[in-house]
Amino acid sequence: MTQTERKLYFLFGGILGIIIVIGLVVQGPVEALRGLLRIVVHPARLINDFTLVGGEGAALVNAALTALIGLVLVRINRIRLAGPTVAAVFTILGFGLFGKTPLNVVPVMMGVYASSRFLKKSFKEYILIALFGTALGPVASAVAVEAGLTGTAALGAGILGGFAIGTLLPAAAMSMLRLHQGFNLYNIGMTSGFLALFAASLFAASGTVLPPQLVWNESPSPVLVYLIPVLSALLLAAGLILEGAGAFRALKKIQKLAGRLPSDFMDMGTPGGTLLNMGALGLAGWGYVLIVGGDLNGPVLGGILTIVGFASFGKNLRNTWPVVAGVAAATLLFGKGLASPGPLLAALFCTTLAPLSGEFGIPVGFLAGFVHLMMVERTGAWHNGMNLYNNGFAGGLTATLFVAVIEWYRANRPGSKGPKKTESPIPEEGRK
Amino acid sequence: MHKKDFLLHLIGEMSHFFLDTNPSKMVISLHQEKDGIHFAIFDDHVRSDEELRSIREALNSSRRPELAGYYGNMSGFDFVGDPRLDLVGWQIKHADVGRIDKGTRIDLWLGGDEFDPNNFTIPDK
Repeated sequence: MTQTERKLYFLFGGILGIIIVIGLVVQGPVEALRGLLRIVVHPARLINDFTLVGGEGAALVNAALTALIGLVLVRINRIRLAGPTVAAVFTILGFGLFGKTPLNVVPVMMGVYASSRFLKKSFKEYILIALFGTALGPVASAVAVEAGLTGTAALGAGILGGFAIGTLLPAAAMSMLRLHQGFNLYNIGMTSGFLALFAASLFAASGTVLPPQLVWNESPSPVLVYLIPVLSALLLAAGLILEGAGAFRALKKIQKLAGRLPSDFMDMGTPGGTLLNMGALGLAGWGYVLIVGGDLNGPVLGGILTIVGFASFGKNLRNTWPVVAGVAAATLLFGKGLASPGPLLAALFCTTLAPLSGEFGIPVGFLAGFVHLMMVERTGAWHNGMNLYNNGFAGGLTATLFVAVIEWYRANRPGSKGPKKTESPIPEEGRK
Repeated sequence: MHKKDFLLHLIGEMSHFFLDTNPSKMVISLHQEKDGIHFAIFDDHVRSDEELRSIREALNSSRRPELAGYYGNMSGFDFVGDPRLDLVGWQIKHADVGRIDKGTRIDLWLGGDEFDPNNFTIPDK
């Protein structure tokens, strides 16, 4: 492990530790643990705001503990703590506020592990699938607490359900990747949506009704409201301490990257510049929610934390804003409220399509955001909210459509010059 | 991934990279060695030292099993965007990049987990 990586472990481990302490303090240790228990046995499908289900302190403890599982998994497998793994840990942290629990993510991870062993592959090769695949945690929860089972039968069936769907993740994830060719950052979101369609069909076939859920904290406390700016300030400070003024140069370089999967900004830029990018995007996401008057509750913080995480793995200020603008425009055009749960979450999570904007320019990014909002409002019902990355599913479908059209256009239009060239691992002059 | 699939992906991505400069000649050669495969590709496009350094860096990137096993599957499939040699770099054992008479030559060595560079005809540095 390098010195920089050690510092990153200290930083991110420290952040998770502080969140746990904050959670225990704001709700009181006993009440927070009681809340944690309520969260674990509660349905985890979209949208269940754990800050209401178990209380804000319990939700913070749940989120940090779940993310800690991810961080420990990365460490014990000796995988580099860099762009993709940081993105995964922050995504788990965010969704720990509205869907992931230590109990429902582990069976999915075990399923992915079993899949790797079945093919006699190292788990290291599938670890990102296991980490991001925790989007299917609600499948385990739904089997355990919504299928009419009780006691150990419910627990066993839940574990088995999560495990079974986890085994299918690697095969599906790699196929999905080829559909959108890396232009949907939440590839596991698309994969999980696809698999969750089958899970939802199984529930329907067995006569189990999974009603839509909307538990939404409309009055978050200052602890939740100011969590992101404090976290962002910490990341900005860490970036500056790590590299000084050099971090700004790296930040500038990161803004020029298209962000297509897999773009590890810690490699393509520097760790310090990446931390600045994470802090800056955190503040940008938080600012957007404040401007539109949204609630800074569990799901919304989850959206911002996911942006912060992916600011190390594909998202920057330049490639995200056109997509968000597209979602905002569609929201207003269709007469919806920018602060309503669906459009607000879409505006944050639509940044999964940032690489389209980064590679093909602002108009394509804007249009993709516009289409994304229409799609995401439909797709959640298809899988009964069992895929937590519903925006990744909708984004994957949108990206696949855009890639298909662009590919068709480039292949068939005589004299087409193809996409606008942006920075890639090989500089422009290296390709000409 | 089976050897044939892997080679097809590799050939696709490397061809994508070389054809991007619109060369008038491109030659690909593959041959089996004691512990893996030697892949060579060259064209008639002359690149600067800086360009060759960038290519070398991308192909000899650090070991990233978490990226190779998952995103590496995109190599040879993603023709909409720019070619990406790092996808190839994560999956190979060694790469040499150099200038030939009137063009560029890249040699890649693909080996199994028991890769032993002594079994290859890797040129001495």
